[in-house]
Amino acid sequence: MSKIVLLAEDDEDNRDLVQFVLVRSKMDIELIVAENGKQAIEMAKAKMPNLILMDMQMPVMDGWTAVPLLKADAATQGIPVIAFTAQAKPEDRARTHEIGCVEHYTKPMDPEELLALIQKYLKL
Amino acid sequence: MNAKAVNTARSAAPVVTQKDKDAAKQCLILADKFLKESSFAEARGEVAKAQKLDPTNPYAYAFLDRISYFEEQKKKEVPKEPPAPQKIEAPVSPSPYVIEAPKVEPRAPQVSPPLKNPEPKAETIPPKPTPPQVKKEPTPPPVEKKPESPPPPKPVTPPVSVPKPPAHPPPPIDHTSSGEIRRPKAEDVVESSRSVIADVLASRTKPPAQANPPGIADMLQGLSQSVQHHTSNAPRGGDVDTKLDEMKRQIEMLTNALEQERKVREEMNQQQLKGVISQVRSGLEKAWANGAPKNEEIEKLHDRAVGLGIPEDVINTLNREVKLDMYSKAVKEVVSKQNLLRNSSRTLEWLRKVYQVSLDEYLEYESKFLMDLVADQYKGTILLVSGDEKSSKQVSQRLKSMGYAVVNATSPENALEKIEKINPHFILCEMEFSQGYLSGIKFLHVLRANSKFNYIPFILMCLPNEVSQLSSDLRPTEGYIQKPFEMEGLNGIMNEKLMAFRQYLSSL
Repeated sequence: MSKIVLLAEDDEDNRDLVQFVLVRSKMDIELIVAENGKQAIEMAKAKMPNLILMDMQMPVMDGWTAVPLLKADAATQGIPVIAFTAQAKPEDRARTHEIGCVEHYTKPMDPEELLALIQKYLKL
Repeated sequence: MNAKAVNTARSAAPVVTQKDKDAAKQCLILADKFLKESSFAEARGEVAKAQKLDPTNPYAYAFLDRISYFEEQKKKEVPKEPPAPQKIEAPVSPSPYVIEAPKVEPRAPQVSPPLKNPEPKAETIPPKPTPPQVKKEPTPPPVEKKPESPPPPKPVTPPVSVPKPPAHPPPPIDHTSSGEIRRPKAEDVVESSRSVIADVLASRTKPPAQANPPGIADMLQGLSQSVQHHTSNAPRGGDVDTKLDEMKRQIEMLTNALEQERKVREEMNQQQLKGVISQVRSGLEKAWANGAPKNEEIEKLHDRAVGLGIPEDVINTLNREVKLDMYSKAVKEVVSKQNLLRNSSRTLEWLRKVYQVSLDEYLEYESKFLMDLVADQYKGTILLVSGDEKSSKQVSQRLKSMGYAVVNATSPENALEKIEKINPHFILCEMEFSQGYLSGIKFLHVLRANSKFNYIPFILMCLPNEVSQLSSDLRPTEGYIQKPFEMEGLNGIMNEKLMAFRQYLSSL
């Protein structure tokens, strides 16, 4: 059964790029996409993804708000969340770990790096 | 004549031993018997044996013709029974000639008259019986029948007209000279026409299976029939040479028709192949769209292509082409999003792995990929006029990364020198230049006066305190941007001016 990855990202180009890379990885992954934190929480509950890639800056509800909510919910707290953000300062990194993200991945992305990270958490 | 015939026959005899000759005769007698039983294959076998034993036996040829004739007759299911009449006549005719009669007759009676005919061949006269018999029947059929029929009659006619070749063992005596000269010609042509006709018939049977145009096949049939007709008629008609020429011409036509049909068939096959190839190609494209497919899938596609009759080397070329095409597409996509990627060269390297493009392949196609990229991204040419080397370099770099080609000019004067050559799509110009040079505004006025350049979108880069100098009469395709500016702002103004330019163009 294919693993499900939820990508919460407001930028369409970035979503396309992640999709582009995942499809070419030939990993057995189904990518589902949310455009903001609120949608991400709904989809996480409905689809129970194996991994969440969360952009921290999004309209409606950003990652800083969404991740703690996911972690507070018993149903979704077990899903690993990777912070997928342009913010690269050390204090940002520390903050994302504080709110429960397992990794802090700084954009712009590198396909092989991103794939390795996803593979690590999906245990593929 | 008879006497002569006998003599020649006798003189030829020495070459072959009498024993073989006799054996050959026996074979021919047997052949005759088979012939009467309509066992044509066996009859031919016996004739072949006879020919082998006694190649000098002139009846062997005639016999073959007879066999063909009767075979034809049989096919047409003509009720007439050729063998019977022969029998009757045979006995009669032989006697008149009888030189070797003693030998022949004894046998003849046993088997039947026809036998006699064959036997005699070896030596001479007895054969005649055959011809006479044939005469009667042949006369009517020859016209409709093929070359085979004529031979038998020939023997009979020989005395009158020369043509008949093989059949006349007896007549040869007199005709030797004339007969021999003509025979080779006629035989050759008949022989070649037969092979051509055979080709035609063979090709006719094949093509239909491949759904060939029926028109040509019909034409060929008509031609082959007419050639056959001529070959059968030729001997009788006196003017053999004319007939031969006619035949040659027809054969040529046939050959041309065949050639044409072959071309049509080839073309059809090629078109078919094209269709199949595009089918296979789309399958491959699907498989390669997101990188190298699994080995099993590659094998499956390969087997399918082989099954469709595509040659191995074509399959390999297709595979390679599709792979590089798909890789090239992916590269373009990546390049278009390079601002979202940390390192484009690393990303391209990753793609090379994903599509299993070897370094050799990449290098071989590198220029193609780059050309594609340039062509894809090229948005137009900008003439950037600025005396400030540093800011000029910065701005032109950014413009290039946006897909423009940028030509730098250090002053309006310098720009006027270059503008004719490059026909820019857009002009970006500083407001002020060092002393001695035209200002940006003056430059704009110069361009306005030139019908060739007066509507090129034009943007002035100015400092805040320079804005007031701008006359308010800037046209829709002209504008300004305050320094310092972000590329986004510049892009916005450029798009606005390009829109205005398009409107201007559509108003023309």
